[in-house]
Amino acid sequence: MPAIFTVDPRSGVPIYLQLTDQVKRSVALGVLQPGEQLPTVKQLALDLTINPNTVARAYRDLERDEIIETAPGRGSFVRGNGAAETSRAAASHVAHEALERAVREAKSIGLTRSRVRKLFNDALERWFPEEQ
Amino acid sequence: MSTISIQHLTKIYGRSAAVDDVCIEIPKGSVFGLLGPNGAGKTTTFKCILGLARPSSGTTLIDGAPLVPAVFERLAYVPERSVLYEWMTAGEHMEAQRRSFKRYDPARATELFALFNLDARKRVRAMSKGMQTALAIVLAFASRPEILVLDEPTSGLDPVNQRAVLKLIIDAAAQGATVVLSSHQIGQVERAAEHIAILQDGKVVLNGAVDDLKYQRKIVEGIFESDAFSVNGFERDARISRVEKTGRILRLTVSDGSDGLAAGLVSQGAQSVRIVDLNLEDIFLNAVAPSQSTADVVEAS
Repeated sequence: MPAIFTVDPRSGVPIYLQLTDQVKRSVALGVLQPGEQLPTVKQLALDLTINPNTVARAYRDLERDEIIETAPGRGSFVRGNGAAETSRAAASHVAHEALERAVREAKSIGLTRSRVRKLFNDALERWFPEEQ
Repeated sequence: MSTISIQHLTKIYGRSAAVDDVCIEIPKGSVFGLLGPNGAGKTTTFKCILGLARPSSGTTLIDGAPLVPAVFERLAYVPERSVLYEWMTAGEHMEAQRRSFKRYDPARATELFALFNLDARKRVRAMSKGMQTALAIVLAFASRPEILVLDEPTSGLDPVNQRAVLKLIIDAAAQGATVVLSSHQIGQVERAAEHIAILQDGKVVLNGAVDDLKYQRKIVEGIFESDAFSVNGFERDARISRVEKTGRILRLTVSDGSDGLAAGLVSQGAQSVRIVDLNLEDIFLNAVAPSQSTADVVEAS
């Protein structure tokens, strides 16, 4: 198993969120391939020196979001059925989080809805010019 | 069912309550961290769970029933103060443990001796504090207990051995053991424990899942144009546990979600607002800080 997971337990971000975020990124980027096996809950808990139930919680959330699937007795795997869809779903989750954060921040510092929409459109045009 | 259930536990020594109406549920297979300043009542709580101190009132249950001697066959306790015999060697302690516990696993004990580099021939009196702690840990884990009560299990250990102890705790929990530990090393509790309770002056001042506490507890910080700003309404918001004003900066400590607060600060004239995550140490220090009513505004210098 490549050492692609790291968590910072001393951060104020819940550990299970750090883990789910990393797995989604890895799947979106293809670092974790469809069908690839994830470490067992116990193994990952020991590797990262974190609570096993916290790892289990992250895995449950990833199952709910249809990023991974768990076969009883065999372990957890990146979803292999509809591989492209899994990878897209993971990418969407990551982007969704980032957008949520940005929009929440914009609202918290008092920007109006139309102002945020303009910023979003500007960014969209800059990064996806030909799709305008 | 909780493996350990503490219900309205009170223990009075002389005229003061060392433990004051404590209620804690420790689910099976979980790692539970008990935090608190010195003298907060952690050790007394452990002693009551284990029948080493008689509660003044309230009850403690293990697997739903009052403590019975048979529980000790599958329970291990590492007390804060060493209960090792000065004149005995590590090996003799191991032998005594083997005779007392049916579940004692000699292969596991040998493995653990090697893990902590312990010398079986060495007498306890010749051991450093750290080696004594390691020996107590080895004796506790060698009988593969289902319930572990660990009072400051890493005190005196170097960082390598502290990490080894954490991994033993995690390994035991992954196999279904229930662990309750106290530690002043908040970073260790933050890694190993999923639930914590913070004791202060014998009372539970905070109790919850570590990740949930981190998710809910934030500081909302607003920066105003001048230090002559005034803010209204926050003292009535039940989510805010602390309001702190330092020059142009206002910091609100919130305990249950910060929705709307940032926008609220902006509408009262804040030029910028940010939401700061809190780690367990921040949450701990906040919980044991001198108590303040929500109406208090602290003028920090």
